[in-house]
Amino acid sequence: MASVFENTNWMLAPILVPLAAATVAFLLMGIRGEARRNAQNAVGLAAALGVALSALALWAMVSGGGPVRYELGGWEAPLGINLYADGLSVFMLITTAIVGGAGSVYALGYFSGREGEDARRKEDLQDETGSFWPLWMFLWASMNGMFLAADAFNLYITLEILGLSAAALITLGGTRMAFSAGMRYLMVSLLGSLAYLLGVALLYGSFGALDLATLGEAASPIPPVWAALALISLGMALKTGLFPLHFWMPAAYTSAPSAASAILAGLVGKASFYLLLRVWFDVFGGSAPPAAGQIPGVLGAVAIVWGAVMAMRQTRIKTLLAYSSVSQMGYLFLLFALVSGAAPERSFEAWGGGVYLVLAHACAKAAMFMAAGVVIYSVGHDEIPRLRGIFQKLPISVATFAVGGITMMGLPTSGGFTAKYLLFTASVGTGQWWYSLVVLAGSILAALYLLRFLNPALIQVPTAKVYRDAPQIMSGTAFVLAVFSVFLGLMSAPLFELLSVGAPFPSGTMGGS
Amino acid sequence: MSFAGLVLDGLLALSLPVLAWRALSARDLYRAVILFITFGVILALAWARLGAPDIALAEAAIGAGITGALLLNTVGGLSRKNDKDDERPDEPTDRVGRPWRTRLAVTVPVTILAGGLAWAVLSFPAPVVDMPSLVGEAVAEGEVSHPVTAVLLDYRSYDTFLEIGVLLLAALCVWSLGLSAVRSTAPEAVSGSPVLAGFVRLLAPAMVVSGVYLLWAGTSQPGGAFQAGAVLGALGVVMVLTGLLVPSLGRGGVVRAGLALGFAVFLLVGVVSMLATGGFLAYPEGFEYGLILAIEFFLTFSIALTLTALFTTVPPREKGGGA
Amino acid sequence: MSSVDMYLLSGVAVFAVCAYALVVHAHLIRKVIAINMMGSGVFVLLTAIARRGDETDPVPHAMVLTGIVVAVSATAFALAVVRKLHEATGHAYLPEEGEDAPPDGGGG
Repeated sequence: MASVFENTNWMLAPILVPLAAATVAFLLMGIRGEARRNAQNAVGLAAALGVALSALALWAMVSGGGPVRYELGGWEAPLGINLYADGLSVFMLITTAIVGGAGSVYALGYFSGREGEDARRKEDLQDETGSFWPLWMFLWASMNGMFLAADAFNLYITLEILGLSAAALITLGGTRMAFSAGMRYLMVSLLGSLAYLLGVALLYGSFGALDLATLGEAASPIPPVWAALALISLGMALKTGLFPLHFWMPAAYTSAPSAASAILAGLVGKASFYLLLRVWFDVFGGSAPPAAGQIPGVLGAVAIVWGAVMAMRQTRIKTLLAYSSVSQMGYLFLLFALVSGAAPERSFEAWGGGVYLVLAHACAKAAMFMAAGVVIYSVGHDEIPRLRGIFQKLPISVATFAVGGITMMGLPTSGGFTAKYLLFTASVGTGQWWYSLVVLAGSILAALYLLRFLNPALIQVPTAKVYRDAPQIMSGTAFVLAVFSVFLGLMSAPLFELLSVGAPFPSGTMGGS
Repeated sequence: MSFAGLVLDGLLALSLPVLAWRALSARDLYRAVILFITFGVILALAWARLGAPDIALAEAAIGAGITGALLLNTVGGLSRKNDKDDERPDEPTDRVGRPWRTRLAVTVPVTILAGGLAWAVLSFPAPVVDMPSLVGEAVAEGEVSHPVTAVLLDYRSYDTFLEIGVLLLAALCVWSLGLSAVRSTAPEAVSGSPVLAGFVRLLAPAMVVSGVYLLWAGTSQPGGAFQAGAVLGALGVVMVLTGLLVPSLGRGGVVRAGLALGFAVFLLVGVVSMLATGGFLAYPEGFEYGLILAIEFFLTFSIALTLTALFTTVPPREKGGGA
Repeated sequence: MSSVDMYLLSGVAVFAVCAYALVVHAHLIRKVIAINMMGSGVFVLLTAIARRGDETDPVPHAMVLTGIVVAVSATAFALAVVRKLHEATGHAYLPEEGEDAPPDGGGG
């Protein structure tokens, strides 16, 4: 079975390919006009292809031979830095490959607005400095680097790259609101990383190592470890936008260019959530008291309801989607409460359900932000009261919104259904039935806030004027991604098989539903 | 440890939070920045006491020096704009403007945080891993004898690689904003002064020499790419301030290439070593010293250039572009 | 109390003082200074940790050096955004929550 996929150097590709692309795209910033755009587009697409291929290669490697460890510089941990890929890492890489790839294709159309061509609408972005591609490539590299990192301090650096590049992508919006939202996000992100770094310093002070596996073996219930757990959880909850630390989220997702909003809402928040999962279960697994999981669990439950209620009160599509993200991110945090319930054999269901929602939500929410971008590109705004009957003009985008909504509501065959069903059964199975009520309530509320836009959009009335047609590639990409999220429920078997590789809980009771 | 040493450490340790407090509650922003720079100098002293000359050097040049210059420049830019508008919208929020209730509400969790952290750091167990001896053993076998440099460019070189990426990214982020040049905060008389410019011209070779020395010495004693880059970056900032260097630093393509050079060389060495030895950044036997020195050389250059570029914030001129 | 303990507590105190100031002060330059010094608090802690044993541990030193470079990068970008925000709004502070209602929502 000697194949090229057995070469562990594949592990570096998801990190190095976007980094090299970022460097080239940065150098290309010097060229002007059409030539730069074409060159940067080519570099970006090549990188997207490279990431997708390497993610597939890693999938084959990990499901064939189990988790893989890579010693950077040839140095063994804990002296050196290791990379580590298990099912969860590869699952996250696949998520960025899909959503990031779609985001890259969407950006081809999004930033294609030609100069002087009716540039008075704010969404008509030229990306005059040519910064989108290098920033996005840095961001992508930082996420992939995070998913593969096995070292606590290395994770800190990837977090900082993530925060800086995401903040800069928000300010690319170029409006006053974008600058203040970018600034707020930057503060939040720096504060979150510092809390994380302080946690890492406490762990190093206690055990003298940075390698996650070494820390996991050494961790014991002592004050510095509790403090580290609290700080890291707080920092990552802040960066993920867990209620009540979501205050930065609506403005950030709304004011960023829609191509960036899709990436931010789809992927960036998930990266800090991944870090929390990794540290919580791999490092603190044994030393955290089981009741600790109730704190993120309860906050997540509040977020589900609060975010949905706020979403219902919005009058812009993008703010509605941003509050919907507050709500949907809440579901992810339920798993911390559900894994520690009375029935440990349910733990994998809860954990897997939460993780599967990461992929499902990333696809659906990114698609919906992309559709919102098409609306703004075509009509010049996204104010719901002024978009009555817009289905007649932009059927594909409204359809994307509806199809993506299936995952938000958790209806069958969607990835959202699989994930929320697992969370539901886990909460019943572990005797924490009140969480199952929240899961159901969130779905009903999601239907209500989605109708806030769909209802007026679908009625037959004379409708807003479409100033210009958005490139087909924008609406097409959004639609395909939304449809993909609906079929995710049918493709869950191989993905759960992947997730069970190196999972913190045995997957015994769950075949691959 | 001697009693005098203990007292000195106590004073330094105490003055850090006090200075931080005073800097953050200072009446006006200039004062706040001056206190911030003082904080940096005391911090460098504390690190010298803690046996960390490498960090002390970097803090003095980057933490206090360049960050201080960045802050002064920004404060100057904002207040000049206010003078012109003849209104000072920043005035009300320039001071602590929160009602006492809010402040009390913040004090409670912060006190809990401080108390919890103090408890945590005073109850560190004996470490499980003896990292100093792990490093010691590896250094004894390697070609680079200064442990900090060995950690940065060999055992944990991947971190350093990504960190140079952070610097490049920072320049990219700043340029993505498309800011216009801030004139130096130095009064006109200073920035055009031939005496000062002459002085900087005299100073420059000395700083370059010390930068190169730091770089070369870094393999066997405190120093290395960061310290050398920091010193040269500080020189770059001084040269921009005195008008010896234009804010755009030169032709766009050249500046861009210069910024990316350190990162690109690091990446290239990593990939080439992957092909040669099968491991990313695993230097081939016998090439360790040479490769580390080569990486450091390019890093120094890029770090210095990036720090200067972060200070000027102006994107470089492109071919055919205006001023 | 040993020197190391004093520096450990000093780092914690710097972190806490800056955390307080970060929340209480509205002016963005003060917030940026607070975050920068907060990082320094963590660095003091790390250097003190490096000094605990008989030998000085170089790994925290390397972490702090890396951290200092990351801090200057973040500070430079943050200050650039402050300038941009000041150019756009005439203020160097963020709108309170709720005031963020899009002033430029409809384009044009």
